[in-house]
Amino acid sequence: MTSDARRLQTARALVVTGLILYVPANVLPVMTMTVVGDVEPLTVLGGVQELYDSGLWPIAAIVFLASIVVPFVKLACLSWLLMLQGSTVLQRRRGALLRVVHQVGSWSMVDVFLLSILVAVGQLGAMASVRAEPGALFFAAVLVSTLFASESYKPRLIWQTGDPSSA
Amino acid sequence: MSPPSPAPEPPRWISCPECEAPCRDRELPPGGALRCRRCGVLVRKQSETQSLQPAWALTSAGLLLIVLANVTPILTFDVAGNTQSNLIVTGIFGLFRQGYWPVALLVAFAGIVGPALHLGSMWYVLAACCLRQSWPGLRQADHLAERMESWNLVPVYAVATVVAVVKLDMLGTVSWQVGALWVVILSLCSLFAMQLFDRDLVNKRLEALA
Repeated sequence: MTSDARRLQTARALVVTGLILYVPANVLPVMTMTVVGDVEPLTVLGGVQELYDSGLWPIAAIVFLASIVVPFVKLACLSWLLMLQGSTVLQRRRGALLRVVHQVGSWSMVDVFLLSILVAVGQLGAMASVRAEPGALFFAAVLVSTLFASESYKPRLIWQTGDPSSA
Repeated sequence: MSPPSPAPEPPRWISCPECEAPCRDRELPPGGALRCRRCGVLVRKQSETQSLQPAWALTSAGLLLIVLANVTPILTFDVAGNTQSNLIVTGIFGLFRQGYWPVALLVAFAGIVGPALHLGSMWYVLAACCLRQSWPGLRQADHLAERMESWNLVPVYAVATVVAVVKLDMLGTVSWQVGALWVVILSLCSLFAMQLFDRDLVNKRLEALA
């Protein structure tokens, strides 16, 4: 098997992994914030909702875009690009799309960094605490798999037409 | 008899970094760019300054700022009289202690190790190019700098800090510390350094040094 064929296979496997993990990443809570005895498990969307409710919609919009829209759009675009692999339609556009996806993708790390800053206060006694929850693991796993997927699907592969495994 | 006119230079071909199509190279005016005809990607760009000094200066500043950003607290949080000041590593340790070590490793890599490797290797390559020193491992350092570019996520960390302050404001009293400023300046420094990093000029210098 050529190294290009292996790259394609890796990218496909990682995109499928990302799509599967996307579900628990968004359904399970990523953290629990306890404020004066009020225990609140928050999913990614719950965190956005909380920001929106407190009237800070620009910040809510940033987090919503970065942690819900970007991972989904990235997975959708990569699946579409991988499905069209080998064909000659829209090659120029596909190359441009892949570059954008690669650039924008890392912004979903906002939520992971945010979690790490919030968890730092986790040991401030009974009044307020923040704990990470299993959703965080799935969320991080989605990020890592999409990151490596777009790293292994190089734009030059778009310009290789025909079956790469026979090449 | 007039001297024979010099033969036209044979065309030089370079391969497009994106789609590997052969592109015909030509002399470029300062600020000019050569684009691939097939995929439209920038193949080569002639910088206006022909200098790597600005990029080197910004990278040096960035390395210093990485140290500052990691040893000064980015924010302090106060709830019911308990005060705590947070460094970048405090959060990483917090995640470790709660058993979420894969997430902790991801944060450590994308927030500290990746940016340090990226700026460090960039600094090494730029220093060698500016001082015209043929130091060992330049190719590897250049390769590392390219690989680490997408792992320099300090700008993303800066945005996360803003969101964190907003969130913590709901729990208690939170205030900015000088470390947050270093994080913001560091992200600007690395963004501008990447912008000023002249790939074509670096390649030329590295070839001359090898």
